[in-house]
Amino acid sequence: MHGVTADSEKYRMSAQKDCEFLVKRARELVSDDPCAAKAWLITARTLYPADFNIQYEMYIIERNAEKTASAGRLLYDMFINFPDQPIVWREISVITAALRSDSQDKQAQFLRGLFETLPGRVQCEMLLKATEQCFNTLEKAEMLLLLLKRFPESVVQHGVNLGETLLEAEASENLETPVNCFRKLFVCDVLPLVINNMDMRLPASLMQKYMLKAAEFYIGYVTRGPSPDGQIQGSQEGGALKSPSVSRASQRYVIDGLTEKSSLVAEPWERLLDILAVVGARCEWQGDKGQRSYMDMLQRVKELCRYLPGLEGETRARCCSQVVICAALVLFRSAFFYVSAVQPALFQGISGLSSGPWILVEDLSSVYSDVEVERGALKHAHKKRKLADGREKTMSSDDEEGLGKGRGRHIVVNKNDMPNWSETLESFRTARESWDLLHSHDGLEAEFKKICAAWKTDSWLWFRIFLTDMIIYQGQYRKALSSLHQMAAVQQPQPGPQSPSGQASLEHHRALIQQASCHYALGEYRMACEKLLEVVSGLVPPNQEPPKTPEDQVRVKPKTRKGNDLRLLPCTSKSVLPFCLQLMLACFKLRAFTDSRDDLSLGHVVVLLQYDWPQGEMLFLKAVDKICQQGSFQYENFFNYVTNIDMLEEFAYLRTPEGGRIQLELLPNQGMLIKNPSPALGVELNTLLLQGVQTMDRHHTVTRGITKGVKEDFRLAMERQVSRCGENLLAVLHRFCINEKIIIIQSLP
Amino acid sequence: MGDIRQSLLPRDVLSAAKELLYHLDIYICNLVQSGRQPPQVDSKTLELVEEFILHAPKDRNTPARRMSALQELQLLEIMCSCFQEQSRDAVRQLMFAALFNLQGNQADESRMALLGKLVSMAIAVSRVPILECAATWLQRTHRVYCVRLAQVLVDDYCSMVPGSVPTLQNIHSASPRFCCQFITAVTTLYDFTSEELTPPLELLQMIVSWIQDDPRLVLITFLNSPISGSQPITSLDVTPLGGLVRWCIKAPLVYRRDKKQALTNGSSENEPEVGPLFSALHLSVLQVLMLLPTILNEKGLFGRLALLQMESLAALTSDLSRLLDQADKHTHTSSADTLALSQLALDRLAQALQVAMASGALLCSREDLRAICSRLPHNNLLQLVLSGPVMYYNNIHTPPLAYSPHAAHSPIAPHPTLPALPTHRAHTPHAPLAPHPSSHPQYPAQPFMTGMPFPFRPSH
Repeated sequence: MHGVTADSEKYRMSAQKDCEFLVKRARELVSDDPCAAKAWLITARTLYPADFNIQYEMYIIERNAEKTASAGRLLYDMFINFPDQPIVWREISVITAALRSDSQDKQAQFLRGLFETLPGRVQCEMLLKATEQCFNTLEKAEMLLLLLKRFPESVVQHGVNLGETLLEAEASENLETPVNCFRKLFVCDVLPLVINNMDMRLPASLMQKYMLKAAEFYIGYVTRGPSPDGQIQGSQEGGALKSPSVSRASQRYVIDGLTEKSSLVAEPWERLLDILAVVGARCEWQGDKGQRSYMDMLQRVKELCRYLPGLEGETRARCCSQVVICAALVLFRSAFFYVSAVQPALFQGISGLSSGPWILVEDLSSVYSDVEVERGALKHAHKKRKLADGREKTMSSDDEEGLGKGRGRHIVVNKNDMPNWSETLESFRTARESWDLLHSHDGLEAEFKKICAAWKTDSWLWFRIFLTDMIIYQGQYRKALSSLHQMAAVQQPQPGPQSPSGQASLEHHRALIQQASCHYALGEYRMACEKLLEVVSGLVPPNQEPPKTPEDQVRVKPKTRKGNDLRLLPCTSKSVLPFCLQLMLACFKLRAFTDSRDDLSLGHVVVLLQYDWPQGEMLFLKAVDKICQQGSFQYENFFNYVTNIDMLEEFAYLRTPEGGRIQLELLPNQGMLIKNPSPALGVELNTLLLQGVQTMDRHHTVTRGITKGVKEDFRLAMERQVSRCGENLLAVLHRFCINEKIIIIQSLP
Repeated sequence: MGDIRQSLLPRDVLSAAKELLYHLDIYICNLVQSGRQPPQVDSKTLELVEEFILHAPKDRNTPARRMSALQELQLLEIMCSCFQEQSRDAVRQLMFAALFNLQGNQADESRMALLGKLVSMAIAVSRVPILECAATWLQRTHRVYCVRLAQVLVDDYCSMVPGSVPTLQNIHSASPRFCCQFITAVTTLYDFTSEELTPPLELLQMIVSWIQDDPRLVLITFLNSPISGSQPITSLDVTPLGGLVRWCIKAPLVYRRDKKQALTNGSSENEPEVGPLFSALHLSVLQVLMLLPTILNEKGLFGRLALLQMESLAALTSDLSRLLDQADKHTHTSSADTLALSQLALDRLAQALQVAMASGALLCSREDLRAICSRLPHNNLLQLVLSGPVMYYNNIHTPPLAYSPHAAHSPIAPHPTLPALPTHRAHTPHAPLAPHPSSHPQYPAQPFMTGMPFPFRPSH
């Protein structure tokens, strides 16, 4: 026995020497005469077919020469004959790494080509074995995925396991967002393979679970915020370049753990719809097999909902799931489209469209119309509100009233400023419809709430923006206000480069303007004006009053709407300041024209009516009528803020015998009635007053006393005002808002 | 028939030949249609061909009719289109045979002359049917005549008209069968025994590129012929492998000799190096040999048909031995260069013998090889090949049977594009773990030299 082993050891050594000799000769020859080297190795292999080194040397020669076909053939041989050689495995792992990477370098391409020359079953076997040797979950998954994609029959065995492994990995890594590498692989790569494999029968509950995982991923992907890197890059380049490529550069997005290329998900909503169609078909949902579009889907589940009460047990549960999943997806999709139009900066890649943020507010284009027309309506609203306030303890909000009011409200948009206005409004409508559908039934609502809880939709700022706008639309202003308060708290610490135009601060004021609009709608004018003035103090008035466009003039035609229309207001200082002025006017208008005398309110109204003159001419004449009826009028700020020549003329006329000798007290300090909150402010007022008459007679104004003739003062003041007619009106009104803030607020209940 | 001859006699040479071709076509068509087996063209018709197409004198009294060069060209054109237009292969083959099969008479000389011109023309204008018929002719005819035809073609395309090589190059795609037979004929013709019998460089380059592009080209005739050994013993080998092996092994020594002559003549400095060409050709030959086991197994010929004959290899080794002796004599001080070239020749011999044996192209024992190589000088690889591989039992490298592509339970099917290598390994008797290596009937001629202690281990 011993002798035999010793002999065979001797032979083994001898054979090994032969092999070493043969390989050595081949190596010596390969650089000068590769053909001769190969001839040696072919010969060697026929002598020692079981020797690994000979075959490896053959492989290396072909590999170094980048001969795909022959290298592939030799790798195949080695894989079959030497499955335990670590060198073979090292090579295979290099190749599979090349397969997973999207690198375009020559070596990676060669290795991919080499792999392609192998017969399918060997590829399959190789990938499986390589997967077994891999310990990193992500790599392992990517490897297995290569296998599943190439060999559909392997999906049955490995598909669900791979999916579950990825979901487990996601859970155990405690990732904060569903847009992570594990979920991406699961949703975009594994799931389509699994659900489209007809050899597999998955329980409906699992299908639905996967469906929701996919939906959460795609929604998260679409609504992802701009990445901080991209933003910085974008703004840096933005300084130098104005080309559209800048916005594209800021769209770069990488999911942690993936390459930039594999982080990209094309047409996410369409992919989601594809998955939904397959899942629907496999879960035996009602309706035709292929879901054509999200809109079709909503229509179908709407119809389905009608039958819901009559269904029972299994069928009912299945029907419920269908309705909730479909309606929820339509809701999130439409809400996303709406919010991406209204607040594009929230999302990665959409800010490039540069149609700034928009605010849903009460439409005030009828503010210049006659008071009487709307007083009735508003009084009514007032009464209702009082009723609601009375019930506040039990109802907690104004739901009931709001819902009644919310039906069929019109939303005014300047079509030139928002080119995609009809799609935006349509999305808003569809989202609201889906929301209503999801809340039309307890069972549906409960299911939907489960989804929301699982996805933590409460923390989705963009969705809250939609919900807020929706409840504003529904007229639930109280609820909207609390939502806005919360949102303002979330939005405040938002870091980001402050653009020179003050756009960023404007966005911060978006919530304030919406709050003001809500307060106004609730009849809380003082609160409304407080919010407004906070906004205005942050605005820089435009240097020049914008020229009126023809469209602007058309718009002003008195409208017969009831006055509870909404409007999408561009969030730019050009649009915001006029809106603030209109809203203040709306607040004071009612007080000014009550039967009781309120000169301060009437004076504010006159100041505010200057904007957009002569839109407010009718109201101004009404104010003049009221002054005539009173026989006197006291408004010390008149000469500070009224520069409209028509108005000045009218007031000058009122003092004349023909005008009725109305007693006008329009100069500061003329009566003791002026409520000067602080001496400092008084000085400031005087200084302001002097701005227009710097050179002419400052001396006179400064030394003016009670002893001097009042008539003379009025005449001089009028003359000065006439010379101020050319002043920038918006600047004057901006000053009015800032300087008179306290008086304005105090004069409202 | 007699009346046909009477009608042909008054005509001029060209129209008589044309008329006869026309007649032949109809006659053979009828023959094939009649279904008589085997279809045999009668001797009268063959005589008419000799008289009116080949213009062999009928008897001493009648002077031979002669054609002008122009008439001959016209006749060739007519023959070309005649074969081109005939759609039935059987008819074409019979007609070609009636015209060009050697009859062992006076007419054979003019027959060969006309054949050479016809094939040369068919190559020039790419008449595939004629090349196919010529390929068959090259299979059936005595090798001496085959070599003559090859000589004509090489003269026409490689020597006479410079720059016409690319035309010849095209036969590879036009008729691979003809191309294969052409290579066999050429390797038979040029046996390196003299300078005339050394292939022109253009021809060598062309053959190397053909085989490199498609190594299976070498096996086309073999793959397409019936298994029966019906080939006349005097005809060409069924593959050019023997001739190519001979070329590659002799080349290092022959070209060394040529080089020396060239140096003395002081010419041909710009000749490209033939070394790499033969190196590539030799590799191609080995690669073709490696294709054989699968093919032989498919045909059920493994171990039964030797594509390389022992006798010709024996002749080769004795040639080689003589060449090596000459080399030694010519160089008084055996230079390193000479030594290297001698070793290269021996390396190639060893490689060819080993791979041919392993692939079933050569049916002999290592004992037989040692006999024919006994006079050759020492070479490490040759020693190794002659002694055979060392076998041992606890071979850690031996692949487990589970991964053998031929194991019944293997999860992997045999590689479809890789016919030779894995199959070969599975059947090789060297694999010590194979349960009954000797039970492979394909390997009767290769003894399994288990653990044989061998005295000639290479001294490495």
